[in-house]
Amino acid sequence: MAATDLVGIAVTTIILGSIYGLVAIGMTLIYGTLRILDMSQGSMVMVGSFVGWGILVVAGLNPVIAIAAAFAATFVLGVLTQLVSVQPLMKRRNAIDFEMVTFITTFAVAMILTNVALELLGPQQRNVTPVISGGVNIYHGVNLPYQSMAMAIVSIALMAGLGIFLARTRWGMAIRAVAQDLDAARLMGVPVGKLYPLTMGLASALAGIAGVFLGGLYFAYPQAGDLPLLEALIVVIFGGLGSLPGTVYAAYAIGLIQATAEVLVGTTWSLPILYGVILLVLIIRPYGLLGKPSEARL
Amino acid sequence: MSALPNKAEPTPAPPAVMRSAVTLPAFPDMTPARWTVTSALVALAAGIPLVMTNQYALSVMVTTLILLVLNISWNFVLGVAGVWNFGQLAIYALGGYGAGIIMLHTTVSPWLAVLAGGVVGTLAAVLLAFPTLRLYGIYTSLLTFAFAVVIQYVIVNDGSGLTGGTFGLPIVKGLYSSLSLAASARAYYWTALAVVVASTIVLAAVGHSRLGIALRGVRDAPAYAAARGVSPMRYRVIAFAVSGFLAGIAGGLYVSYNQSISPSAMGLTPMSIDVTMLVIGGLGTATGPIIGTILLAIVQTSLVSHPGAELTILGIFLLVVVVFVPDGLAGLAARYWRRISAWAAEDDQSGEAAGPGEAAEIPEGSPDPNVA
Amino acid sequence: MSEPMLQVAGLRAGYAEATVIRGLDLAVGAGEVVVLIGPNGHGKTTLLRAISGIIRPAAGQVLLGGKDVTGWPAERIATGGLVHVPQGDGLFAEMTVEENLLMGAFPRSSWRSRRKELAGVYERFPVVAARAAQRGRTLSGGERRLVALGRALMRPSRIMLIDEPSLGLAPVAIDTVYEAIAELKASGATIVLVEENFTHIGGIADAVHVLETGTIVASGPYAELASDPAIVQTYLGSL
Repeated sequence: MAATDLVGIAVTTIILGSIYGLVAIGMTLIYGTLRILDMSQGSMVMVGSFVGWGILVVAGLNPVIAIAAAFAATFVLGVLTQLVSVQPLMKRRNAIDFEMVTFITTFAVAMILTNVALELLGPQQRNVTPVISGGVNIYHGVNLPYQSMAMAIVSIALMAGLGIFLARTRWGMAIRAVAQDLDAARLMGVPVGKLYPLTMGLASALAGIAGVFLGGLYFAYPQAGDLPLLEALIVVIFGGLGSLPGTVYAAYAIGLIQATAEVLVGTTWSLPILYGVILLVLIIRPYGLLGKPSEARL
Repeated sequence: MSALPNKAEPTPAPPAVMRSAVTLPAFPDMTPARWTVTSALVALAAGIPLVMTNQYALSVMVTTLILLVLNISWNFVLGVAGVWNFGQLAIYALGGYGAGIIMLHTTVSPWLAVLAGGVVGTLAAVLLAFPTLRLYGIYTSLLTFAFAVVIQYVIVNDGSGLTGGTFGLPIVKGLYSSLSLAASARAYYWTALAVVVASTIVLAAVGHSRLGIALRGVRDAPAYAAARGVSPMRYRVIAFAVSGFLAGIAGGLYVSYNQSISPSAMGLTPMSIDVTMLVIGGLGTATGPIIGTILLAIVQTSLVSHPGAELTILGIFLLVVVVFVPDGLAGLAARYWRRISAWAAEDDQSGEAAGPGEAAEIPEGSPDPNVA
Repeated sequence: MSEPMLQVAGLRAGYAEATVIRGLDLAVGAGEVVVLIGPNGHGKTTLLRAISGIIRPAAGQVLLGGKDVTGWPAERIATGGLVHVPQGDGLFAEMTVEENLLMGAFPRSSWRSRRKELAGVYERFPVVAARAAQRGRTLSGGERRLVALGRALMRPSRIMLIDEPSLGLAPVAIDTVYEAIAELKASGATIVLVEENFTHIGGIADAVHVLETGTIVASGPYAELASDPAIVQTYLGSL
């Protein structure tokens, strides 16, 4: 392996890991708090891409507005998703099939959002203006687009911001408290009826912001969320469901595996190799890298 | 395939609780009246191709029946055994490719090829069952789904030309290559219907046998079941094997009828439609897959020109059913049926023969026969 | 006695298909310490959970400071001034002791004064202060109980429900916990306390009720019940 390959792998790892992390960390937050695997997160990426396209291309406004609009739109959508597909089921929270049932209802929301987008906007792939254009040659032909760099920086900043929010703020601590002991949190006065939709809105908004950037890297189209959803699923399960640090490590680990596989065997085989690695990891560590059988969360 | 009379077969360490001398009825829910209605419905279904002249409609029905075989197999592992297996379409596709490749490259009877598809499905399912044994719920779904993605990639990127890559297998002969187009469509219809009826009956009997009770026990109360000596491992592997065989047969039928198979038979979209069918019909019930598959096939066919609207409506359907009708349409029907028969029994005090039996059953007609 | 701080009338509560509390009446006056004694599984914990809104009463009424709070969700009752120290402490296992305490001040009104309250708790329980940065799950049973009590002091309360403070603790730790409760009583707190027997409640209890199969079967001042041989024999607790 030449030095350029190594630099290329390092750069790709950081970029991929940051995107995966941003989408996956929301799923972890939701799983830790509500005990559901939110299958609608991919559609939030898609909606974010379309909002980015609408603001940047159709309306010709600036990227900051695009990011703010994507955040707002997907936050609202996330809250609505919770109210429609999860809240009515919360009374069955302790049933053995709760995870399965909410997996299906959030999946139904994903199906609805994807296909509403298909009906309204058509199947075409829309070019989204990169938030920042151009790039820099960092090492003998290894090109780093500014868009990717900005995306990595914003993702890392958002993940750090989420960490601070959870560690330091009143509502952030309340989210962790609910994740760890629901009844005790209620006895402290935490209004879970508001907190659940808020958590899902927040997680969806992170995915929405990721969507604006991903739209600039690829395209905005109705299925734009499918691949990010799969990748985020791999990351959260690889890292151990409900473990935030595990999710961040896993995001970069998966980024590294994929970047290495792309260099060594080409793009076609990188995804199956990734899945092969997942198969092995799950056989060896049934609860992912940092996951625990069930109790420990967030 | 006799599921029930196998009880005498010596097993290494039969768990004490399972060794009860009580003979379990194969079909506890079936009264003579219900048998009559069921037989009439099957006869009616069998008669359709005799009066149906629209070839397009018939082909949709054949496709639906083959899909139903797949869904019945999936319902067994997902609903009855409660294992989050999202690799079923890969098993189905492997069965299809296995059967198709045999039809293409050998001269053995296509019937044997379809059966070989079932064997391939069984092997693939058993192979998939082992790594899932230590996993829990959602982790199982990812592992099995990863399996499906890997299989799909291997098929698409196969360099040896065996699978035909993205385009799939070249034309294979299928089961009824000597018949005319219309006659072969009818023949496929009856074949698939026969498989549907047989597998429904066999799996319903299995569901009420010791195996079925053990599977539901492991699903609903794993610790309790294990404490009573029910080995989750053994039963899960058996469930995968049974379901894999049927999925492989479904794949074999698919490749015969379509005279080809391509990687598009698996993947996310067909999988979401299949899950929707199962959940709407009622996961884990015998009639659920039938109701769900037929209903959604009708919805799909009538919306075929609006691909976006079709899946949107399916999504809304799915959401509404899961939230408001937790046990699916089959469960809903069973509840109403019970209420109607309870009301009829109240009215008809002098019921004899069937009457008392049914009346006695109503109050304790619990929808989930738990081990506890 | 004027308006009782907590009044429970005809309360029925339980789980899915089992009614545990079967028509129970109880009144607790301001500044009073009421102790409920009863064997395991006769509804003491369920009663407290029904009062604090963790489970929804099937029938009856719960009045807090004269206000009907029946059927309110737990978080609303908690914000309204009821503090419940649940059985098993209900600490947030992955949060630090300090974070656990801060959660006690969650309602907006008390969040503002959280630093002051925190200092107060640390002063009252030096053991807790020494463990401030440790995670909840790393504490010993006695430490956990003190953190739970400290957390209960993080916001102003009109009434405190304390579920079996002696459960699972070594005798030394029990003494520390009861000293803390005695201090609470001295500072004028209204307390409903649940215990399995009479052992630790002498000098604390103003009134004692005996709870059996979901109803109160005997009531009276501590001295009276503690000298009733029939009751003492049943609820052994060496005196």
